[in-house]
Amino acid sequence: MQGGLSFDNAPPLAAPLRFFLTAPLFLVLAGLLLVYAGPDIFASRWLPATLALVHLITIGFMLQVMIGALLQVLPVLAGADIGRPLLVARLVHPALTLGTLLLAAGFLSASPWFFRLAAVLLLAAIAVFLLAAGRGLAAQPSTSPTIRGLKLSLLSLAVTVALGVTLALGLAHGWSLPYADLTDLHAGWGLGAWGGVLLAAMAYVVVPMFQLTPGYPARPSWWFPPLIVILLLLWTVAAAGGWHWLVAACQLGLAAVGCAFAGLTLRLQLQRRRARADATSRYWQSGLFAAMAALLMLAAATLWPSLTELPAWTPLFAILLIAGAFVSFIAGMLYKIVPFLAWLHLQHGIQVGMPAPNMNRLLADSAMQRQMRAHQLALALLVAAAFLPDWLARPAGGALAVAGGWLFWNLLQAALRYRQQAAAIVARQEAA
Amino acid sequence: MSHPKTPHVVDARYMEPPEPFVQTMEMLDRLQPGEKMLLLLFREPHPLYKVLRQNGHAYESELLPDGTFEILISR
Repeated sequence: MQGGLSFDNAPPLAAPLRFFLTAPLFLVLAGLLLVYAGPDIFASRWLPATLALVHLITIGFMLQVMIGALLQVLPVLAGADIGRPLLVARLVHPALTLGTLLLAAGFLSASPWFFRLAAVLLLAAIAVFLLAAGRGLAAQPSTSPTIRGLKLSLLSLAVTVALGVTLALGLAHGWSLPYADLTDLHAGWGLGAWGGVLLAAMAYVVVPMFQLTPGYPARPSWWFPPLIVILLLLWTVAAAGGWHWLVAACQLGLAAVGCAFAGLTLRLQLQRRRARADATSRYWQSGLFAAMAALLMLAAATLWPSLTELPAWTPLFAILLIAGAFVSFIAGMLYKIVPFLAWLHLQHGIQVGMPAPNMNRLLADSAMQRQMRAHQLALALLVAAAFLPDWLARPAGGALAVAGGWLFWNLLQAALRYRQQAAAIVARQEAA
Repeated sequence: MSHPKTPHVVDARYMEPPEPFVQTMEMLDRLQPGEKMLLLLFREPHPLYKVLRQNGHAYESELLPDGTFEILISR
């Protein structure tokens, strides 16, 4: 019966793998940029190097993996078929990669041409992805909280990109726009409704499946995605109307809902039936704590706005939410998804007497745990650098680059072992 | 384990993939015509649904408050 599992609707491994192998290289670039730019990057969220750094991580690392993973898992999570996943990957991957590099170059050089080109490429890449994924997903009724969450997260990605492209073109053409409000909304939609809701929709399935925990209770699972999107819609209306108290109330609501989700996930993890904590569950645990710390900061800042004037406040919030939470969740997921997919795509070898190697042999847990410690060291240095930028900004950048390079190396080893075994299977089939 | 809906139950809630799939297909093979089986999981198994449709099995799923999906499959 195992044969039925190498499901014919699983896209070829080459479709997601290119995204997974490119993404860690953007963490390396981000780290190197921090080494190059030094402590100034922590001085303000509006500095060109700061904006470039944030987008190297959020688009270069996070969005790369999210798109690659969705191309792979939409059939499994939602029964949604992506018509031609390899074609979509071949169109989206180069445009997304080049667009991210040009956007970072645009911030660093202030060249309007870089911004224009970046806006066109990123818009094209994400539009192609949204059309392919949205078409498959639209045909599926929302029979589970996961499907509802996936639909809402894709809509939120569209809003995030629309805001981002507006900002990029505004910078290129010198339009007079309410940049601060639009940037806050862009970040809110991107990290809260796209990143946060997507994370929840995936977590509902992968946390119980891979970490052997109880399931997420149905009622909060149904409500979490629409609640986040409703709060962001309200925030958008409030910002347009200039109602600052309502903006603050929405942010407070988002922080509360996010903390509730993180707390629920931590509670489920405490009840897991797998005795040993592997790299994925450790990455998720530290990510959940970082997310809760960042969301408590968000809540505190809505109640006492003067806190944001503290010099370390804004960099600390961004470091905890992006490097501490999202990068950890995504690295933890990659460490499950890549060996699992390699194993799945090697199942057919059993027909010629070559059963798929154990997942631990494709990528050893000890190698993943060592890389995770490098990431946690980088995170600790980044947090400390928020307080002591002159001393620690450059070492933190170096550590981030090493942890990103190490993640790349680990995933590459798994990919190479997969290729070796796949080639051996083909050789055996031809000999037979 | 038994259940009010049917005595044939695969409780796959704490099993790692591909065990839920394998055990479901094995139980379906053992069922008599007209019998039904129940699969318990913390997710909707879309790849399994596809195989069930291809093999002509009817199924219906229900999400319980604790997050369990009850999937009732006809032979």
